[in-house]
Amino acid sequence: MDLTLVGQGLLSGFLFGGVYSLMAVGLTLIFGVMRVVNFAHGDMMVWGMYLAWLLSIRAGIDPYVGFLVCAAALFFFGLLIQRGLVERIVDAPHEMQILLMLGVALVLENAALVAFGPDPARVRSPLSQATVWIGPIFVDVARLVTFGLAMALTAALWLFLARTDLGRSMRAAADNPYGARVIGTDVRRVYAAAFGVGAACVGAAGALVSPILPFQPTSGLGLSVTSFNIVIIGGMGSLPGAFVGGILVSVAESMGAVFLSPSMKELVSFGLLIAILLFRPAGLFGKAAG
Amino acid sequence: MTARRRPENTSRRTFLKTAGAAAGTAVVAGFPAVLHAQAPTVKIGTLHCVTGPLAEPGQACRLGAQMAADAINAAGGIKSMGGAKIELLLGDTQTKADVARAEAERLINAGAQLLMGTFNSGDTAAVVPVAQQRRVPFLVDISAADPITANVAKSVRDGQQKVQYVYRNFPTGTLFGQRAVQYFTEIFKESGVSPKRVVLMHANDLFGQNQARGFQAAHKAANPSWEIVEVISWPEPPSDLSTEVSRAKAAKPDVIAPITRPASAQLLLPEIAKQRLDIMGIVGPGSPGLYEAGQIAALKENLEYVMASNPWPNFKNARTRQVAEEYTKRSGGKTFDTNSGYSYDGMFVLADTLERAKSTDPDTVVDALKKTRFTGGLMVYGGPIMFNEIGDNPNAIPAMIQILGQKPVVVWPKDVAAEKLVFPRPKR
Repeated sequence: MDLTLVGQGLLSGFLFGGVYSLMAVGLTLIFGVMRVVNFAHGDMMVWGMYLAWLLSIRAGIDPYVGFLVCAAALFFFGLLIQRGLVERIVDAPHEMQILLMLGVALVLENAALVAFGPDPARVRSPLSQATVWIGPIFVDVARLVTFGLAMALTAALWLFLARTDLGRSMRAAADNPYGARVIGTDVRRVYAAAFGVGAACVGAAGALVSPILPFQPTSGLGLSVTSFNIVIIGGMGSLPGAFVGGILVSVAESMGAVFLSPSMKELVSFGLLIAILLFRPAGLFGKAAG
Repeated sequence: MTARRRPENTSRRTFLKTAGAAAGTAVVAGFPAVLHAQAPTVKIGTLHCVTGPLAEPGQACRLGAQMAADAINAAGGIKSMGGAKIELLLGDTQTKADVARAEAERLINAGAQLLMGTFNSGDTAAVVPVAQQRRVPFLVDISAADPITANVAKSVRDGQQKVQYVYRNFPTGTLFGQRAVQYFTEIFKESGVSPKRVVLMHANDLFGQNQARGFQAAHKAANPSWEIVEVISWPEPPSDLSTEVSRAKAAKPDVIAPITRPASAQLLLPEIAKQRLDIMGIVGPGSPGLYEAGQIAALKENLEYVMASNPWPNFKNARTRQVAEEYTKRSGGKTFDTNSGYSYDGMFVLADTLERAKSTDPDTVVDALKKTRFTGGLMVYGGPIMFNEIGDNPNAIPAMIQILGQKPVVVWPKDVAAEKLVFPRPKR
C-alpha cells in the first residue's frame, strides 16, 4: 500500500469533512429545536449554490465573500417557509411534516430547473484551483478555507445558542415547548428564528461548497441524503455531533476509496450508519431517548 | 389530382435536400398534403431524460427530434402514406428507469405507433420490454449498453419471442471499445510517442460499466503496446473525486482514459489539474461530459487538449452545417453535437422506414426497418445506416474529437479530421 496515497486520502477526506459538517449543521439545528425533519434541506442548499453562482457571474463577487449574502437570503426564505407552512404542522405527526417538506423540495428543485436550466454549474473562484504542496502531499486551499469557515460557523452557532437570550430561548423551546411558554417565551418567534438560522447555515454551506462541488437542480436529494446520514451518525439535534459526523463520514469514504474500490466508498459511510443505528441509535453525541 | 403527386423520380438525396431547405421556412401552405381535409398523422412517441441528472443531453435529444420532425413535415410528410404528418408525443423519463417504463406505457396508450429514445442506457433497457410486449417498433436513438438489443435478439433466436421490435442507430459499448483502442494506438503512433501506462477511470452506472467493459475487452483482444494499469470507478453522480485521482496518480499513468457524465467530468478534470498529474494527455474512450458547450464554459482550460472518442456530426456535409446553425438558434446558443445529432438522424431513419413500409402496422414497419439502407444521416458514419442481426447499426462509429482553442473538433480518423491533433499535450 502506497503510504503517500493513504496520507493524501486521510488529509483530503478530513478537509472535505468540513464541507460535510457545514451541510449537516443547519439540518441538525432545525431538527434539534423543532423536531421537524427538513427534507427540503438539500434543495435549499442548491438554491444557496445558485445564489452564489449568480453573485459570481453577475456581480463578480467571490463565493467566499458572497456566502454572507446567501446566508441572509436563505434566512429570510427560512422565515417565510416557517411562518407560511411549517408553523401549521409543527405538532402534526412526522409523516405529515415529511410530506410537506418533500413538497417544498419538489417546488424548489423544479423552480431551479426552470430558472437555471439542467446543465451542471460550477462557481469559479481563484481559490478553487489553488494548491499548497507539502512534499508529495497536496493541500487543496479551497477545502482548507471551507474547513476553517465551517469550524468558525459551528463555533459561532454554538456560542449563539449558549450565550444569547434568543439562543437560550431556542434551547428552552427545544427541551420543553410547554414549559418555555409557561415562563413567557414566544415559542412561535423562537421557532421562526431557529428555522431562519438553520436555513442561513444551509445557504452559507451551499455558497461555500459551490466552488468545490458542481451542482444542478437535481443535486438536492443526494445532498439531503448525505446530510441525514451525517446527522444520524453524529446524533440528531447535536451541533458537535454534526461537525464530528461530517468529518467521520468523509474520512470513512476517502479511506474506503483507498483500501476498497472507489465505487464502494458509499458502502463504508452507509455501513457506518447501519452500525450506529444498531449499536448507538441516538448517534455519537445524541442523548438517548426517554 | 395534385394531392397524390409522388416524387417518382426524386432520389432520397434530393428529397433530403428539399427537407433541409424547407426546414428553415414556415411556408407549408403550398404543400399538397394540406389540401386533405384531414391529413393523416403518424404518432411517434419520443422518450428522453428531459429532467433529472441527465436533463442537459436529454433536452438536446428532444430538440433534435423535434427539428427533424418539423423538417420532414415541412417537406410534405410521409409521401407514400398520403403525406402523413409526423406528430410527436413527448415523454420524459426523468432519468429514472421506472418512470421510463411508465412513460412508454403512457405514450403507447395515447396512440404512439412508434417509439424513439432515450439517451440513458438504464432507462432504455426499461423501455425495451414494454416495446416488445405491446408490439411497438422502438428505435434507440442513443444508448450504448450492449444488452439493450442483444438480449432481445437472443430471445428471438431462442424462440422465446417472435419478432424483434427494438433497433438501435448508435455505437454499442463493444464497438466504442474497439474503435477507442484502435484510435488510441493510431494516435500514439501518429504522434511518435509510446505511452505505456493507461489508467481507466469510469462512472459505475450501466452506461459507464458497459463502456469500461467494452474498452477492456477490446484492449485484451487487440493486445496493443500500451497497458491498462489500473481501473478506477466511482458512484455516479459523485460528491468528491480527490481520492480517486490520488489513486490514479499513484499508478503513475502516462494517459488518463475517463468515462464520465457531465457532473463527474466537472469534478474529475479540475482535480487532475490540481493534483498535477504528470501525463501526456487525457483521452476518453467515449462518454458525455467532455465536449458540450456548457462543459467547456464551466471547465475552460481544464478541458483544453482533452480528447474523446465520440459519435460526432459530419461537419464536412453542408446540410449538417445548415441544421447545426438552425439548432444553435433554436436552442439558445448550444452546439449541435452527439446527442442532438443522433436524435435528428433517428427521426429521419423512422421517416425513411415509414416511407418504405407505407403503413404503421408494427410487423410491416419492422420488415422495412430491417431493410434500411439510409445515407442521409448527418453524423460521421462508416457506411449507410443499416441494422445487423442483433438490430444494431455496425456503421455507427465514433470519431476522435479534441478540444482545441475551446472548441471541439474532429482530429481522427485522418480522412474526416478538421484539424491536426495535439498529443502529448503541451506542458503547463
